[in-house]
Amino acid sequence: MSTDPYETLGLTKNASQDDIQKAYRRLAKKLHPDLNPSNKRAEEQFKEVSTAYDLLSDPDKRARFDRGEIDASGSERQRYRSYRDFADGAGASAYTTDAGFSDFGDLGDILGEMFRGRGRGGAGGATLRMPGEDVHYRMEVDFLDAVNGAKRQITLPDGSTLDVTIPSGTSDGQMLRLRGKGQSGIGDGPAGDALIEIEVRQHPLFRRSGDDIHVELPIPLKQAVLGGKIEVPTPTGNVAMSVPKWSNTGTVLRLKQKGVPRSNGTRGDQYVTLKVVLPEKPDPELEQFVSRWRSSTSHAA
Amino acid sequence: MEIHEFLLSARLDRENLEAWIDAGWLIPDNEGSAWLFSEIDLARVQLIRDLKADIGVNDEGIGIILDLVDQLYGLRGTLNGIASAIRRSR
Repeated sequence: MSTDPYETLGLTKNASQDDIQKAYRRLAKKLHPDLNPSNKRAEEQFKEVSTAYDLLSDPDKRARFDRGEIDASGSERQRYRSYRDFADGAGASAYTTDAGFSDFGDLGDILGEMFRGRGRGGAGGATLRMPGEDVHYRMEVDFLDAVNGAKRQITLPDGSTLDVTIPSGTSDGQMLRLRGKGQSGIGDGPAGDALIEIEVRQHPLFRRSGDDIHVELPIPLKQAVLGGKIEVPTPTGNVAMSVPKWSNTGTVLRLKQKGVPRSNGTRGDQYVTLKVVLPEKPDPELEQFVSRWRSSTSHAA
Repeated sequence: MEIHEFLLSARLDRENLEAWIDAGWLIPDNEGSAWLFSEIDLARVQLIRDLKADIGVNDEGIGIILDLVDQLYGLRGTLNGIASAIRRSR
């Protein structure tokens, strides 16, 4: 803190009375606590420059100071508490107004609530209330979990986990909404929701089309020619299926109610497309038979 | 406090007080027909004096400045309230 009033006002000793007043007015505007509420040191600074001004603006006092007869610490101006202390404090006064933001549409209701809450004298009486935002996630789900339904857990970015129930029959791209698992609200506003986009992984065997499941099933030559029972995988487990005699590759058989569950309790169907395959290892007996086999050289496609 | 105590504490004369109230710069409480003042009014008198004498604002300007100052503190208070509410909800 400078004890030289000239320095405090940014002047030289030759300054005229006019200079002194101009300098003071410029500084007073910048440092007045009520006009500069964000400046924490304003009170202190304003007091300094006012004191310097009081000394130098009086020609008599100034002369005595210049002659060294008095010093700068002489008469400090007595200030009452600044207006800003009252205006920033809790509780309303006749001067409290929302005129600065009363045009703010529905935000004005929220702000107005805030404002009245404060006005009623409680500094902690904030009644601000806003719902939280929704949060979006993406989740990969196995094919069979999506068809049959499952309970899974996802880990959120903040390390917490979220239990997710995947309903049976969930399709790729479907959104699940978990109420209240989004961002927390403000005040006692409700929390937002977690919106989870489901990505269904492909299955090596099953293919989904609407509510139906499609499977390509290799069947041995013997069952294809003679017919018989074979085991067919379905989303809910293996089932036995009768293959008619002479079932060629491309034959489609239908297993009713073995597809994807619907919300009304019914299920779609499973369609099995047969693919006739030769035995894995070459069979000499079969080879012999086929080479002797009396058949036409041309085979109808 | 009632008017006499106020005039003494504020070092203000009656004529100026009535003019300032008339201009809307000061708003005392009305208890029946008597004016009642509080500490905030003392601080506001100081502000008005500072504006007039230290900063050199004319009467027109003082009215405008007081109006803006009131809007400013209204906004500060609301902003503070919102910040508190958000902090509490975390």
